[in-house]
Amino acid sequence: MKFRSKGAAVLGLALSSALMLGACTSGQDPETTPEPGTSDSATMQTSESAPTETGGTTGCLQDVGITETTDGQVSFTAGPGNWSGYNSVTSATYSTYNSVIANQMFSGFVYFGTDGTICEDKDFGSLEVVSEDPLQVKYTISDAAVWSDGTPVTINDFLLDYTAQNPEWLVPGYANGKDEKAEPLFDHVSNSFAADAPEGPEGEVGAKEFTVTFANKNPDYKLIVTAPLPAHVAAKQSGLEPDALAKAILDRDAETVKKVAKFWNTGWAYNPGELPDLAQTPSSGRYILKEGGWQADTALTLVANDKYWGKPAGMKNMIFRFIDDAQMAQALQNGDVQVISPQATVDTVAQLKNIGESVKVDTNQTLTWEHIDFNFRDTNEFSDAKGGLALREAFALCVPRQSIVDSLIKPINPDAVVMNARERFPFQDDYADVVKASYDGRYDAVDIEAAKAKIAESGVATPVNVRIGYRAGNQRRAETVAAIQASCKDAGFNVTDNSSADFFEKDLVNGDYEVALFAWAGSGQIASGQNIYSTGLPQNYGEYSNKDVDAAWKTLAGSLDKTVQEEQVKVIEKLLWDTLYGLPIYAHPGVVAYDSRVENVRPTSGQDGVSWNGSQWVVK
Amino acid sequence: MTKFIAKRLGISLVILLLGSALLYILTVNSGDPLQDLRESNSPNRENLIRQRTLNMRLDVPWYLRYFTWLGGASKCLIGACDLGKNIAGQDVTSLVVNAAGSTLRLVVLATVLAIAIGVTLGVVSAVRQYSGFDYATTFMAFVFFSLPVFWAAVLLKNYAAIKFNNWLVDPTFSPVTIVVTALIAAFVLQAAMGGNARRRLITFAASAVVFAGVMFYFDAVTWFRYPSIGLPIYILGVLGAGVLVLSMTSGFDNKRVRNAVALTAVVAIGGYAAVRGLLMESPSTPLLLLCGLAGLVVAFLAGWFLGGFSRKQAVIASFVLALVAAFIAISDLLLSNWSGYLKLQSRPIPTIGSVTPNFTAGYWGHTIDTLTHLLLPTIVLTLVSIASYTRYTRASMLDVLNQDYIRTARSKGISEGKVVTRHALRNSMIPLATIVAFDFAGLIAGAVVTETVFGWQGMGNLFRQGLLQIDPNPVMGFYLVTGTAAVFMNMIADIAYAFLDPRISR
Repeated sequence: MKFRSKGAAVLGLALSSALMLGACTSGQDPETTPEPGTSDSATMQTSESAPTETGGTTGCLQDVGITETTDGQVSFTAGPGNWSGYNSVTSATYSTYNSVIANQMFSGFVYFGTDGTICEDKDFGSLEVVSEDPLQVKYTISDAAVWSDGTPVTINDFLLDYTAQNPEWLVPGYANGKDEKAEPLFDHVSNSFAADAPEGPEGEVGAKEFTVTFANKNPDYKLIVTAPLPAHVAAKQSGLEPDALAKAILDRDAETVKKVAKFWNTGWAYNPGELPDLAQTPSSGRYILKEGGWQADTALTLVANDKYWGKPAGMKNMIFRFIDDAQMAQALQNGDVQVISPQATVDTVAQLKNIGESVKVDTNQTLTWEHIDFNFRDTNEFSDAKGGLALREAFALCVPRQSIVDSLIKPINPDAVVMNARERFPFQDDYADVVKASYDGRYDAVDIEAAKAKIAESGVATPVNVRIGYRAGNQRRAETVAAIQASCKDAGFNVTDNSSADFFEKDLVNGDYEVALFAWAGSGQIASGQNIYSTGLPQNYGEYSNKDVDAAWKTLAGSLDKTVQEEQVKVIEKLLWDTLYGLPIYAHPGVVAYDSRVENVRPTSGQDGVSWNGSQWVVK
Repeated sequence: MTKFIAKRLGISLVILLLGSALLYILTVNSGDPLQDLRESNSPNRENLIRQRTLNMRLDVPWYLRYFTWLGGASKCLIGACDLGKNIAGQDVTSLVVNAAGSTLRLVVLATVLAIAIGVTLGVVSAVRQYSGFDYATTFMAFVFFSLPVFWAAVLLKNYAAIKFNNWLVDPTFSPVTIVVTALIAAFVLQAAMGGNARRRLITFAASAVVFAGVMFYFDAVTWFRYPSIGLPIYILGVLGAGVLVLSMTSGFDNKRVRNAVALTAVVAIGGYAAVRGLLMESPSTPLLLLCGLAGLVVAFLAGWFLGGFSRKQAVIASFVLALVAAFIAISDLLLSNWSGYLKLQSRPIPTIGSVTPNFTAGYWGHTIDTLTHLLLPTIVLTLVSIASYTRYTRASMLDVLNQDYIRTARSKGISEGKVVTRHALRNSMIPLATIVAFDFAGLIAGAVVTETVFGWQGMGNLFRQGLLQIDPNPVMGFYLVTGTAAVFMNMIADIAYAFLDPRISR
């Protein structure tokens, strides 16, 4: 089950939405440009296209009119995890907590907008497709882009980033997965750059522009080249000249490159509270580490990067505090922290809303979506060999999706709706379009009589035993199963709660379930859904197989044209509804609360978390 | 004695070794360290699993990993500890040092307070057995003992931090608050003082007036924003403390002790008046320690040279006075800097963390900042641990008070105060020594819930995180420190026994 061959293997979780790219470039009807700085979540979620200087849609960063950095500080908590290193892409330091901090210190060509849109950071540079076959992209870094120590950001940095993913010439057989035993030299969490663009960046040493040739026509190519680490620091710390390292990489001089691996793997990770010489940790973003700013068990303080060439940071200092979810609300109320994004539970939201006017609470929907999937293995009741489509339809008719959303999700987010698509989220602008083309609303309401009729049609004797499998320890899922149990009983399904602690390792993989209940976390990729719905691919746990779906995915994953992608998504969604792969239920709710004096807080549905635009926050 | 200690040490080492093997086995078998990755839908999942397996050496059998750990840990004997790395590649040695420091800062003050308050309450409630005060103390002790820490913490955060900070913006007492608080405080005090109905009534009335007066004064001068003790009150405080110390030790008739204490008081007052300005302007920890040390040396010399045949008593009395004077002086300095701190930190009592991040202030600002962060967790920890000390002291004190030698002392005509403080108290402390020693060992292990609720990453948290991530190295680092502390403290308890009860060492 190696997952290296197909492109799209970028940092982030699996399922994606093809529509996101579309949202980014479909800026055709500029209607209401939202007031700069309004953080009304409703505005965030309806993606009216409003071209701005940054070139993206409303999902991207908006110009909020910051012209100079305000003296003072804003503090935020992403959770209890301590910071552990400047390099947040080694396997040891790779965590949400490190990533949110790294987001403030590194810039790259693209970032995720609030609705999962892939936005381009025009301040950093631009990218342009120069050839579609083979897919060749030219990257141009802004002339103004420099590290905070004055060194320009160049191809050198991207060369190291590519090399750190252990390309073929460095570690044979690793990136392409041909040699299971190959030991990586660099401890990088990803290998997609080396796998999808085996030759890496091509250009002159120290140049501001380079070209990358991709092995496949990968619609997710934008996500392959991520924000780089400073190559000049790694080179110097390993006893090399910065240009010599870049040259060694271009010359495929593996021996020289190997010298850098040790520092790259461990030199940028620190013991609690021990900041290194800050010359080793320059920033290409709006914030930079602050001398003495790391209190091991309490917080990490960043200071505005005065060498940043674009729009400056909002506040002089940005503090990341390490606070447990359960303690966040009171800490916010007492002013110990100003922006929080705790886990969205009914209790938390109620507690936050009770604080009063000093705190604003925004609930929204995230890119993680809950769904139930059928098991298509031949021995299973729902497979085409047994009950078939009729039985799946019967089950779909008795699953009370609306009442599940009403009772479990609406108390958190009153705007929550039943989700009727898999590749698009309700808050994305082409969702309605896709749903309209693929689904006629036949499973919107529970219809027990129709379900009974369908069971009879399938010829399976009642009661039909249905094991719903999910990972134990999730109250919301337990209640979902209970609701399905109660509703489907009358139709003739005997639903049992089959949760187990090792559901993902055992039951799901072995197929010991009739219906699986879990969530996919979206990552903004366009073609990653192929792994879930195409025959024989690793995330297709239910062993669903449909030639038309396979073909549609193939077309989608091989096209850079968003109209084609859009078309194929509609085809795929319709087929998945008609053959009933499973049922989407809802997008997970998220909650963000902040001191009402903090401006420009914009909740996001994506995985970067609310601090994605932290450099725009200003405290009045 | 040496042989006894050596034997104890030897046995302890073997126990530590066996315990470490057992804990290692339990930890590595408590779950699957790759669990979070197995559930991940991340495209780089296989890569992550492979890397973690390499980092944690999961492909090597557990006993080999254990021996690697043991090898590194045994280097501690030669002062070069290597406790391995945790799942995030950080040095466990430095994690343990950090965590232990954090834990000690959190729990030492709370434990000292709990012992002091608990023992005092225990003694008083034993002396006033079956009085209203005794019942009230017992009742409250059990209430606090059974208080769930996380719940108490949430309440405290709400009232002592959030509401208090809100109130502090304009700190005023309403007349009703003053009257009710003063009456309650006076009622508690008269219950503790005891006596017949007339005496109780007088105590009640007098203290009610005093409390109300103090609160009125605080309100009038917005004391909570601009608090101060100032030199005049410092002088009164030191003199009062001198009187109290004298009455607790030798009484007023012993001229030598009286002179020693008086000299100490005069030097303390004069000295503090001289250095107060310097300490306000350019304070530093060495300077403070130096001043404190100077006071103690003076007290010692005064007791030594003026004490005569009551030398021991004189030294102790003036020593205690010097400590009290130092405490009042520190309080004065802190309170005088409070309004400056309030300007930087408009909401001074935090609900979480051990320091204010990104906070720049002078020496006193940082000291006050540390103390305000300690305030809530210390209150919680003290409340929940007072109970056991109170109950143990009460029981042991009652036991001693019923001994024959106490009856003899009383029949010789020694005053009741002296009987209690001199004859009963010291003997009743012997069983308490064991409990205190165990508690100190337990201290290092941290207060897991308190640490979590107040966001301190101490030893308890280290252990918890290690266990949750099935990461044996931090767990073993925790074990090494707490196990050693337990062994060491037990030995201290044995030695303290001999010191407190000479019969044992014989």
